[in-house]
Amino acid sequence: MRLLERGARRALTLADAAATRLYGWPWNPLHQTGPLAVAMLLVLVATGLYLLLVYRVGSPAASIVRLAADPWIGSWMRSLHRYASDLFVVAAALHAFRMFAQARSWGPRTLAWVSGLGVFGAGVVCALTGFVMAWDSFGERLAREGGRLLDALPVFSEPLSRIFAGDQPVPSAFFFVNLFIHIALPLGMAVALWLHVSRVARPVLLPPKPLLWGITGALAVASVVLPAPLGAPADAFVVAQTTPADLTVAWWLSLSERLPAGVVWSAMLAAVLVVLMVPRAVRRPREGPLAPSVVDPRLCTGCNQCPQDCPWDAITMVPREDDRPTLVARVDPALCVSCGICAGSCAPMGIGPPGRTGRDQLAAVRSSLELAGANVRPIVAICCEQAPASDMVELRARGAYVHTVSCVGNLHSSVIELFVRSSAPGVIVFGCPPRDCVNREGPKWLHERVFNDREAELQPRVDRRRVRVATSAPGDLAGSIVTFDAFARDLAALDRPDQSDGSLGDVACEPELSRRAAP
Amino acid sequence: MTATQRLVRWIGAGVASGAVLFQITRASSVPLPNRDAGLARLRLSWSARPERIEVCRALTAEELARREEHMRLRVECNGRFATYGLRVEADGKVLGESVVRGAGLRHDRPLYLLRDFVLAGGFHHVRVSLVRREQTDGDTTAMPARSADADTGIFAGRAEREAVEHARRARAAIPARLVLDTTLAFAPNRVIIVTFNADRRALEVLDSARPSR
Repeated sequence: MRLLERGARRALTLADAAATRLYGWPWNPLHQTGPLAVAMLLVLVATGLYLLLVYRVGSPAASIVRLAADPWIGSWMRSLHRYASDLFVVAAALHAFRMFAQARSWGPRTLAWVSGLGVFGAGVVCALTGFVMAWDSFGERLAREGGRLLDALPVFSEPLSRIFAGDQPVPSAFFFVNLFIHIALPLGMAVALWLHVSRVARPVLLPPKPLLWGITGALAVASVVLPAPLGAPADAFVVAQTTPADLTVAWWLSLSERLPAGVVWSAMLAAVLVVLMVPRAVRRPREGPLAPSVVDPRLCTGCNQCPQDCPWDAITMVPREDDRPTLVARVDPALCVSCGICAGSCAPMGIGPPGRTGRDQLAAVRSSLELAGANVRPIVAICCEQAPASDMVELRARGAYVHTVSCVGNLHSSVIELFVRSSAPGVIVFGCPPRDCVNREGPKWLHERVFNDREAELQPRVDRRRVRVATSAPGDLAGSIVTFDAFARDLAALDRPDQSDGSLGDVACEPELSRRAAP
Repeated sequence: MTATQRLVRWIGAGVASGAVLFQITRASSVPLPNRDAGLARLRLSWSARPERIEVCRALTAEELARREEHMRLRVECNGRFATYGLRVEADGKVLGESVVRGAGLRHDRPLYLLRDFVLAGGFHHVRVSLVRREQTDGDTTAMPARSADADTGIFAGRAEREAVEHARRARAAIPARLVLDTTLAFAPNRVIIVTFNADRRALEVLDSARPSR
């Protein structure tokens, strides 16, 4: 499974790079697969409410034919409903693939994985019942195959397939039950979605507005220009040469019809078991870089910042066991994903995964500076471990001193200050695209800590002109290099004697900086 | 990024988005070939109660007296449901042969039948037979004779009602032998259904939908 995961990671990186080249990282739709699926659910609910008003369980095919013939609202509303369901399935499948490839499917994320599969499965079944509602040749074919598969289970006293045999009209009760399932499943999906995001703080449920409206608008235009065709009304006495089928949802239909029901059920069961077992198959030991965060109660001041910053709601404030009047942070190891964002949020450096607390980071930087034998002269580029290797190679080639961190959210602002005080001309931090951070909120909190005084803020004595926060994404090497070169130019201009003005006066007490600022 | 590069990117993004959208709309309606397209189908489909083969016995007055008042069933029947041999032939060639019985673990539910047979288009001589496999002596639906003396008060007419109900059940059951022997014209891609007509107690052919009720 790990081999599969690595292969998936490579494929995902290639796809991400291609999409970033096309759209740029802020609008890369592959970074938005989860929110995009939710957005499509909302489109489905909105259009579905209208369709519900015109649908008749007593004459399903006729009501849909009437709807499709209405050129003003009915036709495109139905098409939009259908295309949105297709895009939901595609986006949800890509989202699951992304989580698997980025190893975000195990440990504390297991609940999200399993509930996400539930949302996806319910969505597919809901789409299938929707096709049956239309009761055209495709809907009938789906119903017939579904009946055959269900009849193989010892559930129904009278075989379901007999409903569609043709010797009796299909009863309205069937369409009523089908409609009931079609409406009830989204309610179940809402519950599963709530579970899906229940372990994350501040879940991002929708894509950025331009992307949301852009995609919805494009789907609406496609619905007008290329309305979804409707098959011939179902007729039990006709076996059409071909059936217009939605392969996004029913790609399996042709294969399933050729196999015995037992084989189909076994294959489905095996597939479900395999995906359910993914969290177990890819889990890692919770040690080393994956050990959960720990709190040093002697250092914890009870400031309540780390629970606010934790993207997984893994930290709570509890009463202390000693006689100090403050609260103390407590990490729930079952919820902690070892992202280390708490370490970046803690001014006294009293929390973080072992080896990655603020103190550990400072110690590591100091020792690496000592190894370097002198103060760091080149520009320091601090890169997330997830950053493309090509970016780091290119940055080194341009003379930068590259320092990697597990996540830019884990980076303590004191590390930036240490580099600047060690006579580095400037520090540029390359984070992942904000919507593609594997730890969810690393770039966001880094920016807040460096520029907006969020705890643990970068101290005012550090010249902000010598610090830059940038984004590095696969497929955007040129963007990273342009940003780095611009930063280097700005620093060079800053270090020119004629540019040394009083603006650095507030940091003149710092010996390293005053040395650099001197003519 | 220069203005030209930006323009190229915008065009590329537009083309890619359009291509993805077009693929989604296309995948939404792909002609999926039907199995056995171009051929005709003979479909056997019905549900009916299998015949109940039972031996009934009238209880004596002494036996009835020993029972609680509400348990005094005057006739006790023991038996089982019949099984049937189904045989389908087309132009003298056997298409299928099987034993069919009522649904449920005890086979006491109606007998549900749904079988499809693929045939080439054209005229075919079709013979469908459903024959009870159990041999019985005489009339299995006969009720034992009993006195109507006790049928007074609220029980007045009970014997008659029991006889009517017994006869209704017997009529609803599949006859011991059902045969359809006929020549049918099968059009390609069409289905002809053979079903059991409970009113006529015979197999019949349908080649178009019955009007909705």
